[in-house]
Amino acid sequence: MAATASTAAGSAHELDLACTVNGEPVRLRVDTRESLLDVLRERLGVTGPKKGCDHGQCGACTVHLDGRRVVSCLTPAVQVTGADVTTVEGVAGPDGELHPLQQAFIDHDALQCGYCTPGQIMSGLACLAEGHAGDDDEVREYMSGNLCRCGAYAGIVAAVRAVAEQGR
Amino acid sequence: MSPEPQDTQPVDTRRVDAREKVTGAALYATDLHPDQLAHATLATATIGRGRIAELDVSAAAAVPGVLLVLSHLDHLDLQSPGFVMGGGYGVQSLQPLLDDRIAYRGQAIALVVAETLTAATEAANLVRARYETEPFAATLDSPGVERLSQPATIPLPFLADLDVGDAESAYATAALHVDATYDQPAQHQNPMELIGATVSWRGDTLVVHEGTQNAGAIRHGLAQQLGIDAANVEVISPYTGGGFGQKNSLQIHIGPLALAARRLGRPVKLVVSRAQLFHHTSFRPASRHRIRLGADEHGRMVAAIHEVEHQTSRHDLFPLMYTEITSRLYGIRDFRGRQTFARMDTQSPGFMRAPFEHPAAFAFESAVDELAYAAHRDPLEFRLANDTTVDPVSGEPFSSRHLAQCLRRGAKRFGWSARQQRPASMRAEDGSLVGWGVAVGAYPASIVPSAAHLVAGADGRIRVEVDGHEMGQGIRSTIAILVAENLGIGVHDVDIVVGDTRVATQHLTAGSWGTASTLGAVHAALRALREQLGMDTRGPVDVASAVRATGRDQVEARAETLGPGQTEQDAEHARKGLPTLSGPEFPGYSTFSWIAHFVEVRVEPTTCRIRVPRVVSVADCGRVASPVTAASQVRGGIVWGIGASLREAGAVDPRYGGFLNNSLEEYPVPVNADIGTLDVDFIGEPDLRFHPVGVKGLGEVSMVGVAAAVANAVFHATGVRHRRLPIRIEDVLAGTTA
Repeated sequence: MAATASTAAGSAHELDLACTVNGEPVRLRVDTRESLLDVLRERLGVTGPKKGCDHGQCGACTVHLDGRRVVSCLTPAVQVTGADVTTVEGVAGPDGELHPLQQAFIDHDALQCGYCTPGQIMSGLACLAEGHAGDDDEVREYMSGNLCRCGAYAGIVAAVRAVAEQGR
Repeated sequence: MSPEPQDTQPVDTRRVDAREKVTGAALYATDLHPDQLAHATLATATIGRGRIAELDVSAAAAVPGVLLVLSHLDHLDLQSPGFVMGGGYGVQSLQPLLDDRIAYRGQAIALVVAETLTAATEAANLVRARYETEPFAATLDSPGVERLSQPATIPLPFLADLDVGDAESAYATAALHVDATYDQPAQHQNPMELIGATVSWRGDTLVVHEGTQNAGAIRHGLAQQLGIDAANVEVISPYTGGGFGQKNSLQIHIGPLALAARRLGRPVKLVVSRAQLFHHTSFRPASRHRIRLGADEHGRMVAAIHEVEHQTSRHDLFPLMYTEITSRLYGIRDFRGRQTFARMDTQSPGFMRAPFEHPAAFAFESAVDELAYAAHRDPLEFRLANDTTVDPVSGEPFSSRHLAQCLRRGAKRFGWSARQQRPASMRAEDGSLVGWGVAVGAYPASIVPSAAHLVAGADGRIRVEVDGHEMGQGIRSTIAILVAENLGIGVHDVDIVVGDTRVATQHLTAGSWGTASTLGAVHAALRALREQLGMDTRGPVDVASAVRATGRDQVEARAETLGPGQTEQDAEHARKGLPTLSGPEFPGYSTFSWIAHFVEVRVEPTTCRIRVPRVVSVADCGRVASPVTAASQVRGGIVWGIGASLREAGAVDPRYGGFLNNSLEEYPVPVNADIGTLDVDFIGEPDLRFHPVGVKGLGEVSMVGVAAAVANAVFHATGVRHRRLPIRIEDVLAGTTA
């Protein structure tokens, strides 16, 4: 019993999806109800983005869509056709060289259990790119869509600010 | 501060598994996607109590892609795992899906397995049940709550009432009195990693990947549930995405998942939704504390009576251990503690960070503040004047207690001397009311049986296979630093395997005993390794040369350690995946970790919004085993305290039962913008009387007392005392306009 066609039970409608994920072209037939997060995690094996709520309330699934941060759990997969999707796996250099923000997270201990960290990194990069890292309070505000239950907020602010200062 | 000083370079103290975590390379249990993976979801009950009169899964089963729907109709061959605090392994003794009884709203009634997550989700929504409902109780004030005295119900020494001296008489004759009742709501751990598992069979061997603090309980509990040999269960949990007590035992979904995986011959994965988590597993029980304190005319506290009740389920008795710390915070000679169960219709509550100590300290340290004000004394000076070096319960000394030093150092860092005693007397430039509060906390130090296996390789690397779990507290870092310092090697020359039943017994990691227990075993194994390598007991070791000199490829050493007063029987108990409940018993002393918190709040005068711009916390956790991760632990504990005091409560509608606000939107936890400057310091005196490496616990004590310091600061800002958590805008508004 493969789920392919729509049925009386009101199930699957499928569409083609074509996008890039971390620079790699992806072509896939997706259920219109599938979120980008579930497609990344369950169909493409890209598990950096995490599921923490599935309701856009925690930010653990944050990815970049054409350079803009989105919560992938609230992004229908079909909607990203033609877009470039970047996850935490696509942040380091090709030889594994860490992005300065990743290094700053390590240096400022901006994480504990690590589960929210991929989302924090993606939001942190966006926060810097948006020009919202001018001072600690601004970083706090613009990083507040990403929950960290371990409470590593002070380190996260310090890490984002450190990279902002480097970029000056 | 190392007890075995080395002439080596200081080691890199940054978190050793941070690189994996910042690159997305760290794989959590539900990141796995093995071939042929099937996806599971749960359908749950929508009544507060009763029975399923009719269950219709036909629509669910008809959804294309659905492989299996399991419910009580299938007569599952599954036993109860028992309750982790009742001699068993489970988050509760009640295993859903076995019969038609509904004990609480949100109880699982069906497990759906499908080819895709989408199909499984659709199908779970199509499971239909008709119920026969029964009256239920869901709050401490509901009719139908059954109250039971703890010692009368569970006559175990560590759950006994506390009676030191004659507190009632001392209270009656005291010059100054406080008699107040404090309410602590139910709260939910909400680790960021949703609870879930990837389960498969390899022949007769069950393989479970689940983020946990207790791989041993999962292993042995599943063996009991399924009637198989524990040797045929492997539990693998290298990374746990936060635990905070919620992941400390066998969850109710793993047994059914194992049955589904066996029936389908395929791996099955379940990720429990955030909404379902509020009823799927444990939570911090609501508790109510009546505190009576008496002081003499000089402001010396002479009597304390702490009477507490907390909620538990109908099917399990989650014990109360609130008075253990309130009886030790000060040198109060006469103390009386009474603890009472309040049974009602919920899933079983359980451990959540500082499970008893946070609510107890909120109540007690609020009352102490009230007494200090009644005595017209500065709350800091009042606390220092009531300090003790002797455990007032046992009459024996503490192995270490630097609480007064925590208070003095914290006060200096905070600038406490500039505080004005009168409430509502300090204002910020923007007109906000400013409040400064102080409170202390304690947490009992504990050690459990532990085991470590070291393998030194000819390549100079050390592999550490150890009993312990990494939930973000930094156990890998503490181990790596200990090994690196001991042998004079780099932290990245140490490979660490934790949370894996294939390499070591996996005792529950909780109660802040992880560091002391695991480091004790690693320390002992290091000694054995040095002996094997023919090395001195101290000094740097050229591991590669030393291994080669033995003529072998690798050299191994093992150690099993126990806490004081624990026996081989306790070790055997631990090997069976059961939590250690006896000991440690310390000869001639008792051991606690201590902390002092200083909090500034600002209350915006029109909206009464409370902000916490800064906190200073100074901890006495013995030797600081890993300075970077330790400071993060304390900052995390402060964040938890702020959440507990200003945000978090499981809201219960007594008409329906269950928790209404079962999402991260409606159960707000602190966000980045809620947290200001957190200044953390440590006394750092090793407690070598307690532990060979000198460490005590830290993760839990970090949170203890924060909520009281916040509430005391709100009182100082506004002149209104709040005795119910969390303190919300409407509470402050009501207080200021009253």
